[in-house]
Amino acid sequence: MIDVIGKRKYMFIVSAVLILIGVMFLLINGGFNWDIQFEGGTIIKIEMANDSYDAAAAEADIEELLGKTVTVQKEKTFNPDAQVKSIALLSIKVTKENTLNSSEINAVVDFLTDEYNIKAGTIPQIKSVEPFIGIELRNKALMAAGWAMLLIVIYVGIRFRVMSGISAALFGIVALVHDALIMLSVYAVFNIPINEVFVAAILTIIGYSMNDTIVIYDRIRENTALMHKADIETMVNTSIVQSLPRTINTLVTTLLTITTLFVFAAIFNVESIRQFAFPLIIGLTSGSYSSIFIATPIWMIWKKYRIKKKILDAKS
Amino acid sequence: MANKSRRNPRMDYSSVSKKEPKLKPGAKLWIRFSVAILIVTFFIVMILTGAPGLGVSKVSEIKTGIDIRGGVSATLYPDVENIAEVTDDQLRTIRTILEQRIEAKGTFDYNMSPDYENKRLLLEIPYSSGDNTNPQKVIDDLGTMALLTFREVDETEDGYVINEVTGRFEYLPTDRIVIEGSDIETAQAVLVENKPTISLKFTDVGTEKFSEATRRLVNHPIAIYLDEQFISGPNVSTWIKTGEAVITGSFTTDEAIDIANKLQYGALPFAMIAKEINSITPTLGESALSVTLDAAMLAMILVVAFMLLRYRLPGAVASVGLIGLVASIIFWISAFNASITLPGIAGIILTIGMGVDANVIIYERIKEELRRGIELQEAIDIGFKRAFSTILDANVTTLITGGALYIVGSGPIKGFALTLIIGIIMSFFTAIVIVKWLLRALASTKGLSNRWLYGVKKEVLK
Repeated sequence: MIDVIGKRKYMFIVSAVLILIGVMFLLINGGFNWDIQFEGGTIIKIEMANDSYDAAAAEADIEELLGKTVTVQKEKTFNPDAQVKSIALLSIKVTKENTLNSSEINAVVDFLTDEYNIKAGTIPQIKSVEPFIGIELRNKALMAAGWAMLLIVIYVGIRFRVMSGISAALFGIVALVHDALIMLSVYAVFNIPINEVFVAAILTIIGYSMNDTIVIYDRIRENTALMHKADIETMVNTSIVQSLPRTINTLVTTLLTITTLFVFAAIFNVESIRQFAFPLIIGLTSGSYSSIFIATPIWMIWKKYRIKKKILDAKS
Repeated sequence: MANKSRRNPRMDYSSVSKKEPKLKPGAKLWIRFSVAILIVTFFIVMILTGAPGLGVSKVSEIKTGIDIRGGVSATLYPDVENIAEVTDDQLRTIRTILEQRIEAKGTFDYNMSPDYENKRLLLEIPYSSGDNTNPQKVIDDLGTMALLTFREVDETEDGYVINEVTGRFEYLPTDRIVIEGSDIETAQAVLVENKPTISLKFTDVGTEKFSEATRRLVNHPIAIYLDEQFISGPNVSTWIKTGEAVITGSFTTDEAIDIANKLQYGALPFAMIAKEINSITPTLGESALSVTLDAAMLAMILVVAFMLLRYRLPGAVASVGLIGLVASIIFWISAFNASITLPGIAGIILTIGMGVDANVIIYERIKEELRRGIELQEAIDIGFKRAFSTILDANVTTLITGGALYIVGSGPIKGFALTLIIGIIMSFFTAIVIVKWLLRALASTKGLSNRWLYGVKKEVLK
């Protein structure tokens, strides 16, 4: 039988290193990269007739027009169904300090329509959020995530009181926090903007990870009665190994679907979907990993400590 | 049930006393099998043909969110110095007027929700084909006050300017207002000598005011303004008592219709300006949709292939359940009159992967029982029974997260939360009812009770 529990120390180190790398990047980048949805700012994208336009010149022109700093980039997206598959976009980004108001947005769009070769009959894509709204949305989303976590803790706590005690619920939560930290680390390392989509992804992962942990804990509870003669380390290891096929198979089917989505979104450059699928892939993997290598071993360590204490108490 | 009754004669007796038709052993299994097949077929047929009576549309005609069909969402704030002074009544009035303005343009499937606490309106307008206006302008134009005024003007040199752009002579607005928007009974756009013109009819009060002013101001100008913008400044030639007037200006037919509509529905107490706007171009949304649908199709094929390889016969049954699951999610979205959004489709794809989890838990358990030498039917029963509480707990946690997302999320994320919630409930139902009924009937068939079909080697080591 595979000895999962015996290798716990290495696994703790792997997790700690991953999270530390995240913290390092966070310090280098000076905090998280908040999406304009959660911070404020303006993004305008206009479909061009072709991609032979000068982004640097456009940037200089728009800065002169507005008297504000902007960033102009060439972007491309693809439509597999259309005759002309590639769509050339001109993307203008303005940071929160310089958020454009409606007349400035109109000025930019009118200017580009007059002076640049934009695609006939196209509609600009505009996203603009004033900072006070961005911060309000951010707080609202964080609040929702907090509430969801709290409700899960309460539910699992109530359920596990009967099954394996409140301690099991607490260690399940440790695994959730671990997954959230790993996801945040990935966002910090790749400097991905944090927005509503991220909150949706992290909450999905919290649900999934708890789900994984519950399955293993359930097995331990069952085996506690069946294997009362075995020592706790063997019993926990057996439980993990017995639930392994399920953990792996579910991870495989879920990863199959989400990875397919991610690959399609990456090939055809569908930004919103790519931004959603990527953290899910990381989170799903982390969720399964943490159930096996974090939640269960630390629960076992705690249990062993309790048994030792009991014996010592009995002796004294 | 059939199994239990064989072991327990008293149960058999009680079921006879309830006057249930006496069934051959196994008949009940096949009735349930048929019901399960019927349920799956029902959902598939529903989304393929639609059922207008139930408010369910065909899969190809389901409402899509603005992230797919294109459109604009915006948060509109009153353009006033002190936002705290805005009353709920004012916000309600604004909402009604804005709704009329949007509907006048032939758009009906918009969403507008007032937020009284924060004194703002949340608005979502889908793209309508052929309309290629800059979405920022659409929103700006919608939020204008549209307060029409007829004013006396100063005829001195200080009273007018020459507009730098148009080169036109324009009177400056004064505060000597003759007629206001509220004095207008009807406003209509008409063509007079091929020129777009707005024809006005005043209310009784307005008629009196206008009559008094035109008598006083014969041979003097009365200037017309929309908000603070000068429209025209005609000279009064005679005393007008009929309560009718026309406005000519330099506007196109479409603009004339638009202004007439706004006058008809009345002015806003103050202008509404967008402080948050998000527009999606229909072409980009459509291309994202086709990419996402292709991904969903492939994901489904991959999961079905995996389940078949890994679990053989039960895997095939789970795949039937999976198809029913996806069809049922689409059915409920349509029945709830919700929109399909990109994150929503992502949610369906995620459900395809996570939805088979319940099956995996059950099937792994069945395999284990079979390896221990338990008989097939009993192994299946144990598998379903044992896995039940695990599956329930796991689903409740995901329901909690789905609920939280639904409450705070914006349109597209709400779509994701909704598919997640429906997906969880339906996958629970599929695994615990549909798949169970299908599998138990099939396992009772002689040809299909071979252990290999359940992923276990023929010879059992005991």
